[in-house]
Amino acid sequence: MKRTVDPHRRRFLAASGALAATTMAPAIVRGQDAALELGVLTPLTGAGGFDGPRMAKAMQAVIDEVNGAGGLLGRKVVLVVEDGQTNPEAAVRAARKLIDVTKAPAIMGTWASAVTTAVAPLCWESKTFLTTVSGADSITKLPHQGYLIRTQPNNYLQAGKHAQFIASMGAKRVFMMSIQAPFAEPTQTRATEVLKEKGSQMVGTLIYDKDKTTYRSEVDQALRTNPDLIYLNGYAPDVTILLRDLYRASYAGHRFAQSYAVTQKVIDSLPHEVTEGVITVQPSADVGSPAYELAKKRLGVAEPDSYETQATDWASLVSLSIAKAKVATGTGIRDNVRKICQGSGTKVYSAVEGLKLLEEGKDINYEGASGPCDFTDIGDITDCKFRYNKVANGKLVLLKVA
Amino acid sequence: MPSVAEVGQLVVNGVMAGTILAVPAIGLTAIYAVLRFPNFALASHATIGAFAGYVANVAFHWSLVPSVIAAFVVAGLVGIATDEAILARFRPSGYITTAIASIALTIALENVVRFAFGNDLRGYDLPIERDLRLGAIRVGPQQLENLGIAIVAMGALFAFLAFSRMGKAMRAVADNPMLASIKGIDARVVSRIVNFVGMGLAGLGGMLIGLDTTIDPLTGFRAILSIFAAAVVGGLGSIPGAVVGALTVGIGEELSLLFLSPDYRSAVGFVAILLVLTLRPRGILGQRAY
Repeated sequence: MKRTVDPHRRRFLAASGALAATTMAPAIVRGQDAALELGVLTPLTGAGGFDGPRMAKAMQAVIDEVNGAGGLLGRKVVLVVEDGQTNPEAAVRAARKLIDVTKAPAIMGTWASAVTTAVAPLCWESKTFLTTVSGADSITKLPHQGYLIRTQPNNYLQAGKHAQFIASMGAKRVFMMSIQAPFAEPTQTRATEVLKEKGSQMVGTLIYDKDKTTYRSEVDQALRTNPDLIYLNGYAPDVTILLRDLYRASYAGHRFAQSYAVTQKVIDSLPHEVTEGVITVQPSADVGSPAYELAKKRLGVAEPDSYETQATDWASLVSLSIAKAKVATGTGIRDNVRKICQGSGTKVYSAVEGLKLLEEGKDINYEGASGPCDFTDIGDITDCKFRYNKVANGKLVLLKVA
Repeated sequence: MPSVAEVGQLVVNGVMAGTILAVPAIGLTAIYAVLRFPNFALASHATIGAFAGYVANVAFHWSLVPSVIAAFVVAGLVGIATDEAILARFRPSGYITTAIASIALTIALENVVRFAFGNDLRGYDLPIERDLRLGAIRVGPQQLENLGIAIVAMGALFAFLAFSRMGKAMRAVADNPMLASIKGIDARVVSRIVNFVGMGLAGLGGMLIGLDTTIDPLTGFRAILSIFAAAVVGGLGSIPGAVVGALTVGIGEELSLLFLSPDYRSAVGFVAILLVLTLRPRGILGQRAY
């Protein structure tokens, strides 16, 4: 009888050969190159696939400048980019690689809240520093021991800022309709507080069920309180229905919504008279600030958005913290990040500028392209700008950045 | 204490919502009556109908009624095709297998729609009109039109079942398949007809939902649980039951707002299922098809 090699065994042999080759290769490369490797874990695919690649590019642009100015601690900086796939399971595998194989002192870039929640414990347990854009309030409340900062405003900050703006518009009686989601109640509570402080009033709130085909009764409930502004705190499919139902009910007051709920596509899907005058809000880059102007030039983009500028700031903050700590470890970054971005030091607007002053032994205060980059003890930013648009004749028109 | 006008408005809203829900619920229950499995692919057929109506209305500039007919016909034809090509093969393996296959089918079809049209929200090219005020009650002209279309569709279906040969054959198969086959009724033809009518009604319902809102590939999927609830409450397999069930769910959900926060509205439909099935396991009108 003729003996044949079992095809499974043949495949196994081929695979283990390939595996041996790949695991040996980085060791050789590492031996020759003493570069300082930083981890990047943005979603290159999945729901975050639009923002992730641009964020990675923005970080690379900052690191190119840092390398041009001599690198960090005398070493060239290299970004090791992994794809988080907007998927917690894939992101955890990628983070493990960055932590165990690359031994990166920092991982920059988690986007979705679910991904950040999954990756954060690996980071704080391995003393790796993590920077993120995820917005869920719960993230900075994790026991991260300082190994996490986020540059995205959380719900609390957003709700407060929105309420300030609404009060400044002169709206006295505000009603808030929120979709059933984790952010619904915290946003209502905070907005109610701030409206009261500013002399306006939250005349009522309700939380509606998603996936309904009509919200007529909810609209009736809101209109009974006679509001002069209704805050529609939901997502595109339901806010579209609410806008229609408010129009049908001849509601003539202001309507206010998050920009992701009233996108240009949503506006295009509705008759102009239904969307006319709707005000939208989104976190904004610090448009017009010196760091923003530098980011514009560095990226060659006319208007870098909030995500690109946040990524710019992470690469700068991590670089400056390593320089300040004089050691490239997660703990070094954690202990020094607030020493370079807040306080009474000289204001700097780019990593290179800051590195120069740090070398001269001066104190610095990095002011970012996404905002002032001042952090609370749990890693939340204390302030940021918001962009307010108004729908006019089927197009979004900038009202102001404030 | 809620005012009479408030309760009246909620009942009117409930009747409007219930009538639209009744159209696809009849489709679901009719298919169940004849083929004896809950066809969850109804969700994607509602979406397909909504998009067929969208193409007719926006791309071909057809007016409302021809677009609605297009929604019915396209969804009905897709219903026959998917049943013959896919679900019919599963039926000998039992109703649970077929029901699960129909869930897989609905996800596949939904993605075909997504591939063709993308994920964006789309609206019909119809003006949105302000509501009419009748005393303290507010009613939308579009809702009245939807109500009219739903009533005409249901009337036509009842006439078809009561007076046409094929309608009588359908009822015969639903009541007693064995006896019907002995009498020489071709089950295959009946199954095609019921799929065409059932999925056509789903498509029509999808478009009616879309007229009041916007459409996207998840339009049908979002509604399927309420549709299923309506059919079960009325008595799965009973066509008048689907209407009664849809109105019960529709009005019940609205009236619940008098004492519950709106975020519990969907729960009302399911509490209704539990209540009805506990007290009357065969649904309000039982399971006799007609």
